[in-house]
Amino acid sequence: MKKSRTNLMVCAGSGCVGAKSLKVKNALQEELKKWKLEDEVTVVLSGCAGVCTRGPIITVYPEEIFYENIKIEDVSFLVEEHFLKGRPVEKFMYKEPVERLAIPRMSEIPFFKHQVLRVLRNKGLIDPDKIEEYIARDGYSAAAKALTEMTPEEIIKVVKDSGIRGRGGAGFPVGVKWEVCAKMDSGQKYMLCNGSAAIKDGDRALMESDPHEIIEGMIIGARAIGATKGYIYVRTDYTIAVERLQKAIDQATEAGLLGEDILGSGFNFDLQVFRGGGAFICGESTALIHSIEGKRGTPRLIPPRSAEAGLWGKPTILNNVETLANIPLVIINGADWFKSLGTDDSPGTKVFALTGSINNTGFVEVPLGIPIRQILTDIGGGVPGAKRGRKFKAVHIGGPTGGSLPESLLDMPLTFDDIEKAGAVMGSGGMVFMDDNSCMVAMAKFFLEFNADESCGKCVPCRVGTKIMRDMLIAITEGRGREQDINALQEISYDLIVGSMCGFGQMAPNPVLTTIKYFREEYDSHIRDKWCRTGMCRELATFYIDERICKGCGVCLRACPTKAIIGEKKKPHKIIQELCLHCKTCYDACKFRTIRVLPFSAREASETELAELAEAIAPVVAVKKTEKAEKMEEVE
Amino acid sequence: MAENIKILVVDDEPIVIRSAKRILGAEGYDVEGASGGREAIIMMEKKNYDLVLTDLKMPEVDGITLMRWIRKSRPETGIVVITGYPSQETIKEALELGIIDYVPKPFTPAVLLDVTHRALEWMKGKIPEEEIPKEEFPPSMISELDRVIKEYKNKPGSTIPVLQRAQEIVGYLPPIIQKRIARGLNVSTADVHSIVSFYSFFSMKPRGEHIVKVCLGTACYVKGIEAVVTKLKAELKIEMGGITDDKRFSMESVRCLGACGLAPVMVIDQDTHGTLEPKKVAQILDEYRPVSKETT
Repeated sequence: MKKSRTNLMVCAGSGCVGAKSLKVKNALQEELKKWKLEDEVTVVLSGCAGVCTRGPIITVYPEEIFYENIKIEDVSFLVEEHFLKGRPVEKFMYKEPVERLAIPRMSEIPFFKHQVLRVLRNKGLIDPDKIEEYIARDGYSAAAKALTEMTPEEIIKVVKDSGIRGRGGAGFPVGVKWEVCAKMDSGQKYMLCNGSAAIKDGDRALMESDPHEIIEGMIIGARAIGATKGYIYVRTDYTIAVERLQKAIDQATEAGLLGEDILGSGFNFDLQVFRGGGAFICGESTALIHSIEGKRGTPRLIPPRSAEAGLWGKPTILNNVETLANIPLVIINGADWFKSLGTDDSPGTKVFALTGSINNTGFVEVPLGIPIRQILTDIGGGVPGAKRGRKFKAVHIGGPTGGSLPESLLDMPLTFDDIEKAGAVMGSGGMVFMDDNSCMVAMAKFFLEFNADESCGKCVPCRVGTKIMRDMLIAITEGRGREQDINALQEISYDLIVGSMCGFGQMAPNPVLTTIKYFREEYDSHIRDKWCRTGMCRELATFYIDERICKGCGVCLRACPTKAIIGEKKKPHKIIQELCLHCKTCYDACKFRTIRVLPFSAREASETELAELAEAIAPVVAVKKTEKAEKMEEVE
Repeated sequence: MAENIKILVVDDEPIVIRSAKRILGAEGYDVEGASGGREAIIMMEKKNYDLVLTDLKMPEVDGITLMRWIRKSRPETGIVVITGYPSQETIKEALELGIIDYVPKPFTPAVLLDVTHRALEWMKGKIPEEEIPKEEFPPSMISELDRVIKEYKNKPGSTIPVLQRAQEIVGYLPPIIQKRIARGLNVSTADVHSIVSFYSFFSMKPRGEHIVKVCLGTACYVKGIEAVVTKLKAELKIEMGGITDDKRFSMESVRCLGACGLAPVMVIDQDTHGTLEPKKVAQILDEYRPVSKETT
């Protein structure tokens, strides 16, 4: 790297590129040239910083000043102020959500402060398209150590001692799996990387921001098990990841880190990118292997395990992206270092993708074993709209085959086993936060629609079971639910768990089981009272404006798509039930929280009955009180 | 029924030719014999045969070599293998050369007759290669496709990469293209179709100039992608999976684009559009429309 006074890292992750970060980079360079600053300030593209909603993101080094949402038209002002006059620009900095104070330094922003970066240590710091930058940060030294100073047995021992568990799914110990494969007597073996799991923000970001880290992990793994060929399986729609990985492989091959006689060790390893066809089930190991073989990606019965008979019937190791990214660090720093974070059973760190009703979305790396609450409040910055009374309701962990956990489990440590015990899976590491506006029955329906759609159809319990469950859930959300449905859903879930061939079918009922377990009252309310209290299930809700508090501001009136709301300015408005589509638009639009979600039966109710119902769910005294408190808060 | 059907029996054992002539001749087939591959080729140069029954192991020019020649020079001729030593390797090779069937030696008259009848029936049902409409698929496109097929031919597991490249070249994968790929890679059309229909990336319908992929993943659902989809449908006047009348846009759904932090998300061509709101939709679509509004 060229020495210059300042380095300007422009994020080139998918999110920022989508927000035109590449154009911003060009604009920056032109602007710097205009002021003849191009030798002093170097503009570099970097990998994803993890806060994709705030893109394009620019970080200024060495001061570590973090700018967000930089638009092309902001560039000239930014260059003039910061780089010419030396005054960092507050208005482009991150502002903490409560007091709106600007926080200039990246390391002080809570979102970053509470993270521990291991696999993501290079994010936003190196240009993923340049192997020299990875090498400059000790890249490939682990591969060199593994190939020239260690025997395959020694590599496996370190990995086994570290206790690292697979980051992709069930958390099987990596070293144990490698050992089985290494012992297989076979001419050809394969080393595979699973970059296909859907809902894997973190994996995608890793492939985009630090592709060499994954390649290095694969070289070490291949050496340990004795594989000479490898594939990185990536979904075709991850365009940037595919390009970066291909480029990284080409560079590593040119540098003699892939190919024949790597680093003079006599070890050969040939690595290719395989673009998958986009099927959720291909995250399952045997299905992924079928897909590389050029077949339909359907799973098969296990045993035999892939480590014994995998790709083309040869012993094969399949590890997930994040697992492989950990391997170089384990080799360089040793097993004890790895275990210094996390818990005894779940050592190390884990990348989670935060999304949904949470202030800071993006992906984060934290030590395993920390409570979910810390992620929600310290890193995630809490639930948006908390001031207006929005409350946390559930966090869904593990994607469509994961589970939704309630507030009572927020202090549960995040470990493989605790999550599983609670009914979710670590799996993808996706965390979707939901506030009290989300209907849990509707969420379960959404996941089962997904799972029924993505079931590959090979085995009956999964193919038929997911569809029956989906139809039952649709019936419940549309007001056709029966009392016995809850039991039936649980029974069918059990059939899927014991009868399905692969992990997908066995875990497909998780969203239903966890929502029944933790949010049973919502099912009861849907079935018995025909009432979705969140108003998400439109067949089961009646919207009513509480005339006692309505200010008559007219926002809902303008927002309503069917003009079902009438009322004069500054006088309480009214919803004409016969015209209402129950779309909830007015509810979201109202700033004074005057709209009540009443049961389906209220559509026929008289004005006085409606007022009584509204009073029953939200007594007006209490409402006025909170409103007052809120105003006080705002004044303060 | 058997009139005018010419069959050539190739075997280095004269008894096989004699018995074949006796059995098939009685049914009215016109049967001739050749004692080896070389003689068979010379005979076939002079005359067309409908069906060749050939041994595999023969001195000088063997069955496999003969079949290769037939595939190249007389592709319309059907082949049935008669063999006493069916080893896995040779059978696999023979199957790759597109034989119709094989008869193990020794055989009974009934078996030989049955196999011959079936082979001829099969050939009758064989559909000639479909003509690829030139207006829709220009010859340059097809030759590019054939080049890709050739590049991957005989490589294991090449069907998916070929289909991906084919979709890039043609834009979508209609049955006629699937058939051409199957033939080129020497796999069954059913196999190719089973892959095309399985993976959501492959499309059997024509796609627009710009492809709008809407994420229906969990995060996008929670963040309200449904309202965005409703707006997109209204703006483009198409349903999910449809294509606009001017062929400018087609809309598809995908299961998580892996950009959950940006939810709700859609991707148009290669551009990611995050934190969508229904009211932003029209403006985003305009970026992909020609500048002058009158034309649209």
